[in-house]
Amino acid sequence: MAKETSKNIRLGLFVLLGTAFLIFALYLIGVKQNLFGSTFKLRAQFQNVNGLMPGNNVRFTGIDVGTVDQVEIINDSTVTVSMVIEDKVQIFIKKNATAIVGTDGLMGNKLVNINPSIQSSPSVEDGDLLKTRNPIGTDDMMRTLNITNENVRDVSEEIKQIVQKLNRQNTLWSILMDTIVAENVKQAIVHIKVTSERTALVAGDLSAIIKDIKSGKGTIGALLTDTSFSRELHQSIVNIKLISDSLALVSGDLHYITSTVKSGKGTLGTLLMDTTFVTNINKSIENIKNGTKGFDEDMEALKHSVFLRNYFKKKDKEKAKVTKK
Amino acid sequence: MKDIIIEIGLITKFAGRFFREIIKPRFEFAEFARQCYYIGNRSLPLVAITAFIMGLVITIQSRPTLVEFGAQAWLPKMVSVSLVREIAPVITALICAGKIGSGIGAELGSMKVTEQIDAMDVSGTNPYKFLVVTRVMATTFMIPILAILADTLSLYGGYLGANIRGVVSWDLYWSQVFDTLVYSDIVPSVTKTFFFGFAIGIIGCYKGFNSNKGTEGVGQSANSAVVISSLLVFILDLLAVQITDVLNLN
Repeated sequence: MAKETSKNIRLGLFVLLGTAFLIFALYLIGVKQNLFGSTFKLRAQFQNVNGLMPGNNVRFTGIDVGTVDQVEIINDSTVTVSMVIEDKVQIFIKKNATAIVGTDGLMGNKLVNINPSIQSSPSVEDGDLLKTRNPIGTDDMMRTLNITNENVRDVSEEIKQIVQKLNRQNTLWSILMDTIVAENVKQAIVHIKVTSERTALVAGDLSAIIKDIKSGKGTIGALLTDTSFSRELHQSIVNIKLISDSLALVSGDLHYITSTVKSGKGTLGTLLMDTTFVTNINKSIENIKNGTKGFDEDMEALKHSVFLRNYFKKKDKEKAKVTKK
Repeated sequence: MKDIIIEIGLITKFAGRFFREIIKPRFEFAEFARQCYYIGNRSLPLVAITAFIMGLVITIQSRPTLVEFGAQAWLPKMVSVSLVREIAPVITALICAGKIGSGIGAELGSMKVTEQIDAMDVSGTNPYKFLVVTRVMATTFMIPILAILADTLSLYGGYLGANIRGVVSWDLYWSQVFDTLVYSDIVPSVTKTFFFGFAIGIIGCYKGFNSNKGTEGVGQSANSAVVISSLLVFILDLLAVQITDVLNLN
């Protein structure tokens, strides 16, 4: 009887152990599926869910916070995904969060990623509809990769042609293999080095000069830094401008006068441009000259006349007296 | 072919009688408990060792392939699904088909050839109810429990296998296992083991109950019980996969 009891106890333990393992496993799976905790629902509408199924995980900031409850086709371009989310994360998910269908790793299961927005917004409520973004599908990636591959192929083809051309021509190889060229290049590098050192020195000097100029030392420094000089310079420039304006006016007037003179208008124009008038003037001058000569002769005659001879002698004496003094 | 069809018909008739007998009162509970002990407890060490080794070996064998793809992190997920859904239940059923099926076939066969079954009938005890119903019930209920324990031990073997070459922490391993497993993995897996148990029990009892030709017949009964019940396990497994596929439980 005791042996029978022992067998029954061992049988009972065996059955209990098996049942306990089963219940424990079911409980753990249920916990992972959010079947036992308090949850709320969120919805999101996608154009394409890329194979998302009920039971797939929902991640918020990279943490599993729920599962996909239902995937339902609304019309030819809209699929509504219902998600069961743990209550404890409700305060963290804002109304402006974005849902996107992603993949767990490269080859993993599909999942819904809820990405928070930077802008603040109130927390979601039960049954809210989240904004969505269309996922980058494998087809899109393959299409882009295909374009990239074609570009790479074109580039490699061109590089191949360049290399073939280079191989056909001996010039480059002879340059590369020539020891004199190598020596020249070496010397050129030495020269470049020396030049760069000198340039560095010159740059240092220039830097010192610029520093002096900035600090107002020397004529240029004074010119650039003296504010009174700049004011005077400004005034001078203003004056020069005024003068140049006046000169422009004067030159305009002169141009008018010269053009008037050239056209023979006015007295001066007549004087300069009328040839008849010139001839007349020449004749008049000739007549005046002849008249003056005659007058001189008349005056000389008067000096020797009886009536005026004493007057002129007296005048000569006074003149000689002044000269003597 | 004709013999096979006749055999199938007789087995079906034998199984039908089981359902008729089980609803009739006086259930032989003591005999049922005794059979449960022999079928469940006595088979546990063999099932446990086999399941543990299967988990260990499958993990070690799968690792290099996953490493080639850089997906060794997926080892717990892959191993857990294959062990729980398929390997542990089927291995448990096959071990039980070998150990229990042959045992029942030989025991009932020897009882048959020594006319003990006829004696029971004459003494007023229903031999079918006492011998067949209790054993079939025991296999039907014990093999699922053995399969659950085999699942657990094989997953533990998988944990050790994952840590022989790589490093996977205890928490991470079990977290990944239960992250991957869903009810549609566990429920069909456990459900089909009830059918495996029923098939093993009914075939073993049928072969033993219909044994003849003396001691030679006992050996034949034990042998054919193992062969047919093993075959039936695979056929039922195939059906279970098809049904879960149709019900979209994959």
